[in-house]
Amino acid sequence: MVALLLALQLRTITIDQRLAADAHLRVGDTVMVSATPGGGGDSVIIAAIVGRRADPSEIARSEYRAHLHLDQLQHLIGYGDRVDRFAISTHGDSSADTAVRAINNAAFGFRAYRSRDIAVETSETFAVVSRFHRAIGVITIVASAVFLLCILLLKVDERRRDVAALRLLGISRRSVMLSVVLEAAFVSVIGSGVGVVIGWVTSLAVNWHYQARYQTPLRFALVTGDIVLFAVSLSLVLGIVAGALAARRLVRTHPLVLLGR
Amino acid sequence: MRLFLAFASLRRHRARTILAVLGVAIAAAMLLDMVMLSTGMRESFRELLLSRGFQMRLTPRGTLPFDTEASIADASRITDSLRARPEIDLVSPVLGASAHVLRGDSSITTFALGVDPASQGDYQLIEGHDASDASSIVANDDFLRATNAKIGDTLRIASGYDPQLRSHSGERALVVAGRARFLYLASKQLAIAVPLRTLQQMTGAARNDRVSLFMVRLRDVNKIAEVKNWMRTALPTIDVISTADAMARVDERLSYFRQLSAILGAVSLIVGFLLVTTLVTVSVNERVGEIVVMRAIGVSRAHVVQQIVLEGTAMSVAGAVLGTGLGLVTARYLDAILSRFPGLPAAIDFFLFQPRAAWTAIGLLTACGVLAGLYPAWRAASLPLASTLREEAVA
Amino acid sequence: MTALVRARDVRRDYPLEREAVHALRGVSLEIEKGEYLAIVGPSGCGKSSLLNLLGAIDAPTSGTVEIEGRNVGSLGDREVTEFRLRHIGFVFQRFYLLPILTARENVELPMAEAGVSAADRRKRSTELLRYVDLGERVKHRPAQLSGGEQQRVAIARALANRPSLLLADEPTGELDAKTGEEIIALFGRLNADGTTVVVVTHDESLARAARRVVHMRDGQIVRDEVTDG
Repeated sequence: MVALLLALQLRTITIDQRLAADAHLRVGDTVMVSATPGGGGDSVIIAAIVGRRADPSEIARSEYRAHLHLDQLQHLIGYGDRVDRFAISTHGDSSADTAVRAINNAAFGFRAYRSRDIAVETSETFAVVSRFHRAIGVITIVASAVFLLCILLLKVDERRRDVAALRLLGISRRSVMLSVVLEAAFVSVIGSGVGVVIGWVTSLAVNWHYQARYQTPLRFALVTGDIVLFAVSLSLVLGIVAGALAARRLVRTHPLVLLGR
Repeated sequence: MRLFLAFASLRRHRARTILAVLGVAIAAAMLLDMVMLSTGMRESFRELLLSRGFQMRLTPRGTLPFDTEASIADASRITDSLRARPEIDLVSPVLGASAHVLRGDSSITTFALGVDPASQGDYQLIEGHDASDASSIVANDDFLRATNAKIGDTLRIASGYDPQLRSHSGERALVVAGRARFLYLASKQLAIAVPLRTLQQMTGAARNDRVSLFMVRLRDVNKIAEVKNWMRTALPTIDVISTADAMARVDERLSYFRQLSAILGAVSLIVGFLLVTTLVTVSVNERVGEIVVMRAIGVSRAHVVQQIVLEGTAMSVAGAVLGTGLGLVTARYLDAILSRFPGLPAAIDFFLFQPRAAWTAIGLLTACGVLAGLYPAWRAASLPLASTLREEAVA
Repeated sequence: MTALVRARDVRRDYPLEREAVHALRGVSLEIEKGEYLAIVGPSGCGKSSLLNLLGAIDAPTSGTVEIEGRNVGSLGDREVTEFRLRHIGFVFQRFYLLPILTARENVELPMAEAGVSAADRRKRSTELLRYVDLGERVKHRPAQLSGGEQQRVAIARALANRPSLLLADEPTGELDAKTGEEIIALFGRLNADGTTVVVVTHDESLARAARRVVHMRDGQIVRDEVTDG
């Protein structure tokens, strides 16, 4: 009876999953919230446990999150009738622009922004990480191009006697080059297809690992149609160029020299 | 003779040897960068934390330095009790706040550190005098550039801003006494150092005798655990962060880069290994006849293997050495990208060159080169002589 | 005279999918020091297989091959390789010179393996190349030499470590008649200077130049005759 009476008087809060797990809290538990450690505060009941949003800025942040009723928090921390910001939802995109303009024209001591503009400005972490990834990607592409050229050179060189025999039979340089380039293109397409599958499987593993690590629904690696198209196209171009360069070396050498005479 | 034969074989196909060395060099550069990345952040951060000799930081409970607006009350009492401990050599109380440099109708916002100049560990004076006077400040180059100020100028600086009334509070006239390099600031962050008492007064009664953190230097580093235990009991509203604790928290935040460096480093090694193996295998397959004849005329299996392994090793070593130089260049480029990571001091290097890292990369790739050539070499040297000679004759 | 080479009831079988090929079916042969022996026979009679066994390049399926009193079939790989290096010179039909080495370097290769000093190697290789009339071509690579010249370099290489036995498998097989005659004359000179020479050949001129001819058929010796040479 007393507990029920108490419960009826207490206000509710929500806490995040990490706090619930680390402090062994459950829905229905009564806790004390205060503005200073060990200081006086309010008893509240945990009404819900919430998961993390897919918000990049929350990754690797280790603080706990709790949601209180606005007036209760204002009272607890002595904030008075103040807030840090308002979040506004409008009817559609164009309404948002109109609202931003209207608010800023009338605003006294604050400004309105579109959410996406704030996101861009506050996602510096991910801008840095993206630039880093892009740089690694560029280095990887350069390395791949060198490897591809080296391997194709080897493969083409292995067949120099065959090429010499064909040339001596009267097959033109152009035909020989075309056959080598076609083969290189074919290998590149097959190879990039295999690479896409490996990349997709790897992205699943990456997402599984980091979502568990940081307890977030955020997806860290995404294989999209654009990315697949880019990868396959780049592989094809690199393969064709590498094949052409390797074949060119061979067809420019006299067949008898290729045969070691 | 074996060395001569190995190099002669490599010279025989110059283009593919050069490409292979280049490929190994790129793998080596990537490997070196990843080795530097995996250790650089930790070492760089540790060096930064200990650069002024302060082994401990005391912050409001549940926060990291300057992570929130929380502050510690009764700063003077706490400072006195800390200084009374025989194990403690130096205590530096620090207050962090935003400040606004007033210029007509506009203002420039800067980060302000309230410090005790006699014990501070946040900046190194480059030019001029320290902020020992109550109305003097020390500023960094970014601040001086943004405000167009120089040593000797007087600036009107306020601590508070009410956006509704569009007015400033806690205004003071402060003189730029010196120019300093602030150790723990992010890249391009404007900063000034103000005497602690002055900043406390500027920020109003609500913050009197409050600080954001204490930095503590011990006489004997072996006493950290003992002092930590005492602090936890004597100062229950405060968190004690040792250098090791701070590094663990940074490790947590930057663990992604360590994992990435491990994965990319492993991939680089594998790719380097595959490249050398492929090259050696093809080269050996082309020369089966020569290899078998060498065995037939009396060259031992071990010597044949040695010669072939030498070819792979030579390519790997050449590539590794070239890659070390390339790696240093790419490391600078990548470091410049990562140095803009928000919330981290600009003084931290993500890629810290240590000779050990270079030797590790070169050593790993050389070992790969040896292993890569071993199997194809052994296979070729173990071919049955008679039947192989017959097959070569038919071919 | 003590036999330099003694092969006793030697058999060599090559396993195939359904049944083995019996290349040698119980061959016994003795070769004395200083002999000049030719082994002749139709294709597939086992003469090259026999030569490989005599050169310790291959091991018999059964039977023994003794060279200078040592049973080479029972030696381990390291020992038999060392034996080949120091006691046997082999000349192949296709020369098998290393294309990346000069004529001199090809001749020096076995000596380097045997641990001969650089100065001694140079001296001996010069001497050998002069012996085979290639004194002016020491710095040429195989691609710059004719077939006959390449074969002479191969012969010089085979003689590098002063072997007690020189074996040649179809040494004139890739050469024209005139060049072949030059090689045959060279073998004659070698034997006259004391080298024990065993050649396997289809070439009648080469067979006639030898002082003993062993005829083989179907893996066996069918006739062994001393000729005028």
